[in-house]
Amino acid sequence: MIGRESVMLQRKNRVGIVLAVFSVVAFLGALWMVFDYAPREATMGDVQRIFYFHVASAWVGFFGFFVTFVTSIVYLVREERRWDIIAASSAEIGLAFITMTLLTGMLWARPVWGVYWTWEPRLTISAVQWLLYVAYVMLRGSVASPEREARFAAVYGILAFVTVPLSWFAIRWWRTIHPQVVSGEGMAITPRMVQTLLSSIGVFTLVYVTLLRQRIRLAHAQDALAALQLAQES
Amino acid sequence: MMLEISNLTKSFGPRAALAGVNLMVGDGEFVILVGPNGAGKTTLLRIVAMLARPTSGTVRIAGLDPLKAGSTVRRQIGYLSHRTLLYDDLSAQQNLLFYARMYGLVDSDARIAELLERVDLADRRDDLVRGYSRGMQQRLAVARAMLHRPRVLLLDEPYTGLDPLAADGLTELLSGLSEEGCTLLLTTHHIGTLAAVNRRAVILSRGQVIYDDVVADVAGFQALYRDLVLRRVSDGGATMRTPPRRSLPVAAAGPPRPSGAERPLGYLRQVVAVVAKDLAAELRTREILSAMFVFAFLAMLIFSFALDLRGAIARAAAPGVLWTTIAFAGTLGLSRSMAREHETGGMDGLLLSPADRTVILFGKALGNMIIMLTLEAVLVPLSSILFNVSLFSPGVLAVLLAGTLGYALVGTLLAAIAVNTRTREVMLPILLLPLVVPLLIAAVQATGGLLEGLQWADLGGWTNLLVVYDLLISSAALLTFEYVAEA
Repeated sequence: MIGRESVMLQRKNRVGIVLAVFSVVAFLGALWMVFDYAPREATMGDVQRIFYFHVASAWVGFFGFFVTFVTSIVYLVREERRWDIIAASSAEIGLAFITMTLLTGMLWARPVWGVYWTWEPRLTISAVQWLLYVAYVMLRGSVASPEREARFAAVYGILAFVTVPLSWFAIRWWRTIHPQVVSGEGMAITPRMVQTLLSSIGVFTLVYVTLLRQRIRLAHAQDALAALQLAQES
Repeated sequence: MMLEISNLTKSFGPRAALAGVNLMVGDGEFVILVGPNGAGKTTLLRIVAMLARPTSGTVRIAGLDPLKAGSTVRRQIGYLSHRTLLYDDLSAQQNLLFYARMYGLVDSDARIAELLERVDLADRRDDLVRGYSRGMQQRLAVARAMLHRPRVLLLDEPYTGLDPLAADGLTELLSGLSEEGCTLLLTTHHIGTLAAVNRRAVILSRGQVIYDDVVADVAGFQALYRDLVLRRVSDGGATMRTPPRRSLPVAAAGPPRPSGAERPLGYLRQVVAVVAKDLAAELRTREILSAMFVFAFLAMLIFSFALDLRGAIARAAAPGVLWTTIAFAGTLGLSRSMAREHETGGMDGLLLSPADRTVILFGKALGNMIIMLTLEAVLVPLSSILFNVSLFSPGVLAVLLAGTLGYALVGTLLAAIAVNTRTREVMLPILLLPLVVPLLIAAVQATGGLLEGLQWADLGGWTNLLVVYDLLISSAALLTFEYVAEA
């Protein structure tokens, strides 16, 4: 196990470098689409452009938590360390993206709603979700045994994800002032806006994959180092 | 063979606690397991007792695979750990009666009387365990481990903290058990304390068996032990060999002991036993309820200052203040309830029993729910008076019941996690409160709607959310509790 990881770590990180370069290029392309290709929104003006980052980071955050949810279940069933590593890595990255979602949402809300924050249900659930994964990360840092840490975190990762569908459906269950971009009647934005939004989502997903790969690699390196230190102490 | 351990390994991250242990123990054998600190003795015993899972390898007890016949195998095992697994706030009689119920013993009264007589505690049977000396607690712990007549008794450092007289008493007790045919596997650092001559001794070092033979004389064995362990440390274990074992004749294990003294485990009976145990401890100390009452009243007082709760504002804020108070005070209660279990190692005691794991979750959650409902029985009239609202309606009571059920279930699960963290004093609210916020929003809005005169059917999404949340989170708790409870 450790031997295989060591071999993997000794290999040059060619895929990682390619992914990182590709992510940067794609991100620059997305920036061009957001600020040049997409038309200026008639009512809100340029501030609407933050929406492309807000929605894309929200998507990646949800997706990251979904990956944590699935890999947590797999870890509990199979008890293999690699699934725990993916779950932990994905939660950390998802948390970073949800933080970005909250910040971009607040920046957008100030000129449009007149306040940075309002306690409407969907925002509240987003804040709750953010706190859940902060708690997840804190939990991981406060359990002494690695095996217990993995099990506890897997259970919490599953429970925390229960709030994701609640967040998603909250906009439909409760009256809200949050703009409903996706509805049963199709998108309330122009085709160019749709293309820009989809591109942003694609690029953010690529950034997520790049970060996830690097974080998993780092975790394997930490394991290999711990094993080497233990062998040296022995 | 009564106990067959094959190629057993257990890793904690990169550290291997057990590195391929092979050990066979015949029916009725008395085996002494020795080794330096960190050799893997406790880990080995915990795996055999089904309190921990191996990374690889197999354990068979009386020919049975614990993974396939967990409940049957647990009935065959008695385990005495570093901790007594006794509840300080219960008497000796109450402690043994609780475990007798968890094992489904039919003749519990007679068996408890017999054991208390045997460990010389019959005249102290109604005294609280917290008043016992260390030696008395250890004797009672042995009685607990023997209660269900196990065929295998696992004893982890049973001499720790005992004075010479108490140690002699324990040795005599164990010798008696061995003569009666009970298989004993005992770890110790004090082989001189035991009547070890002609007993089989196994030395475990760095997770491997490095010696397995019959002790001819104690002094010679102690010298050999020092030599073997020191040499293994100096050469990293590379040159160590296990000498051929001169076994004492052992009998083959028969089928699992007939359960004449046991009845089929009643799920509900066991849940009730856990609830009764928790409530008996709480009735004795009243420490959880009194703390919750005082805290809840303080919270309401502070809300009244902070939010200037007077007149119509007070009536509008009443549901929110009520539920926030219940949530905060509930967190206190949940924390203390699980800490009480943790302090005595009680969770291990529950896991050793043949009860289904969900019995523990339901039992603990139901106990916590009853305590929370008792608090609410005071808070509801108190809130009605303080905020000038009428909370006495079937709808409000149904919301209270539904909200408390979900809160107690998920809170019990998370309290079991939090109590095992380094930051246990603060971890429960951090884990629990974000998870119950949707439940609290639904409960507050539903209660508020009912206070405004709406009917249950008019509450729409709020009651749906409450029910959906309860169902989702409870199902997840039921499915995952096994992984939380396991040490």
